Amino acid sequence: MERTNKTIALIIKLIFWGLLAAFFVWAFTNSMFSTIVEQPDTFFRLLGEHVTIVLLSGAAAVLLAVPLGIFVTRPKFRKSEWLIIGIANLGQTVPSLAVLALAMGFLGIGISAAIVALFVYSLLPIIQNTIAGIDSVDDDMIDAAKGMGLTNSQILWKIELPNALTSIIAGVRTALVINIGTAALAYLVGAGGLGVWIFTGIRLFDNAFLMSGAVPVTLLAILIDYLFKWLQFALVPKGLRLARKAQNS
Amino acid sequence: MIHFNDVTKVYNGNVKAIENMNFNVEDGELVIMLGPSGCGKTTLLRMVNQLESITDGDIMLNGKSVKHSNKIEMRRNIGYVIQSNGLFPNMNIEDNAMIVPNLLGWDRKKMRDRFNTLMELVGLNPDQYRKRFPHELSGGQQQRVGVARALAADPPVMLMDEPFGALDPIIRTHLQEEFLQIQKELKKTILFVSHDIDEAVKMADKIALLKGGQMMQYAEPAKMLNKPANSFVAEFVGQDRVLKSMSLYTVKDLATALTLKPVSESLEAQNINENLSLRVAISKLLNQEADQLIVENNNGTNKGSITLDLIEQFLHREIKESV
Ligand SMILES: Nc1ncnc2c1ncn2[C@@H]1O[C@H](COP(=O)(O)OP(=O)(O)O)[C@@H](O)[C@H]1O
Ligand SMILES: [Mg+2]
Repeated sequence: MERTNKTIALIIKLIFWGLLAAFFVWAFTNSMFSTIVEQPDTFFRLLGEHVTIVLLSGAAAVLLAVPLGIFVTRPKFRKSEWLIIGIANLGQTVPSLAVLALAMGFLGIGISAAIVALFVYSLLPIIQNTIAGIDSVDDDMIDAAKGMGLTNSQILWKIELPNALTSIIAGVRTALVINIGTAALAYLVGAGGLGVWIFTGIRLFDNAFLMSGAVPVTLLAILIDYLFKWLQFALVPKGLRLARKAQNS
Repeated sequence: MIHFNDVTKVYNGNVKAIENMNFNVEDGELVIMLGPSGCGKTTLLRMVNQLESITDGDIMLNGKSVKHSNKIEMRRNIGYVIQSNGLFPNMNIEDNAMIVPNLLGWDRKKMRDRFNTLMELVGLNPDQYRKRFPHELSGGQQQRVGVARALAADPPVMLMDEPFGALDPIIRTHLQEEFLQIQKELKKTILFVSHDIDEAVKMADKIALLKGGQMMQYAEPAKMLNKPANSFVAEFVGQDRVLKSMSLYTVKDLATALTLKPVSESLEAQNINENLSLRVAISKLLNQEADQLIVENNNGTNKGSITLDLIEQFLHREIKESV
């Protein structure tokens, strides 16, 4: 059983990488990336803008959403959960395009509108995952910690956060990967980014522009995904990683 | 050491969990709170380290009101063990066991020595387990670490809520016996929750039997078995209570209370060490392995013999005496 599962997983992986390789061969032989080759300066400028939008909005979201998630899980403030989740939910339910338009309405054309819009858009998954992570910490563990004389902040730093870290990082990862795609819309509020080429390609029916914008965006998303997998490995305490592995096997 | 003065606990304004509780736990005593599920054992225990507030009355710990003590400081001086061990999966065994010394700011060397001592005490090899993580240990091993962790800063008082309740019977018996040995050595003042009469009889210096938040009887195990205070106690300890009490007396207790019989030539005989329990003695006699047991001390000196009627005489005496 175990063996067949592994074989199937391997075959699927091989097919995936095969298709990917075939795609790149096709793309290169049809000079789909000619725009990048012809205008490297513009490419790096757009890439830089794209990454800046994603990273700045993501960092700001982490700085607000994680503390908010912690705040909501304190017993004293638990009652505020619906309010905070409600507000964050609003930011997420409104289509990303509308959030961008609203941000532009307040901040005018430019990169700051895009950053603010993506920041709002990232809050919910990070808050939710922070809350879920902290809630999943076993009550008996907290009880034991209290009974041994840990203060509330010691319980937060030594017990709750380390045990919630996997979930928090997963939330940030989800938010950033989505944002890399959404940042392609930043072009619409004049914030640049690789969306510039994608939209040009769509308007001109020019596959070279389209691919030169879309493929790097995709690769960027995959890169961020891997980066966070590594981050999870590096930051989550070893005991928890082993415990999860043992549970899954 | 621990004095309960008219302690009452009311949850959410209407659930009365504990009512006017009054009793004392003396220095070095192991007191087991026993009773059916929901009778208030856990509530009473958790009021001592203030994980639950006290609605009325007070608990004095070493002469100090727990209500008015600094909670954090007080808890660091009370060992706390719970059924589900509550070990922290993000920390290795050494960090788990040394969490309180760590909070108290002990230096590395002192912590390492303490860890080694404690692990030996609870029967685990310190070097083998130091860097392991809780999920890599069996339930019994985890609970041993739980006990070591509670003992880490050498607190005079321990609170234990069904510490062996989640273990399977063989492991449980092992841990009970090991813990009794540890307690013999350390002489902590222990408040221990159990719902198992056999565990209580085996381990307790005194048993506090609760029902519906009230004390039904507070007495030594032998007394509770031989002289239950009311029909609830009698029913709870079981109809075989007199047989249960036999394991609490040694052959030596009988030899001290009564004159042993001279060894009779006409009866089938076997030897028995005076430190064995009367339960073993009676079992041997009923088994027809022998009609009389020749009592000897550790040096093998013969002190006389016991028979079934002598044991009967002893029991009647004990039951009357404890009136
Ligand atoms: N946090 C709580 N809120 C309300 N009622 C509680 C709470 N904890 C316990 N109780 C009630 O108090 C009574 C005693 O509970 P507990 O002390 O846990 O009993 P035991 O440990 O003997 O099983 C029960 O009726 C239980 O339902
Ligand atoms: Mg209980």
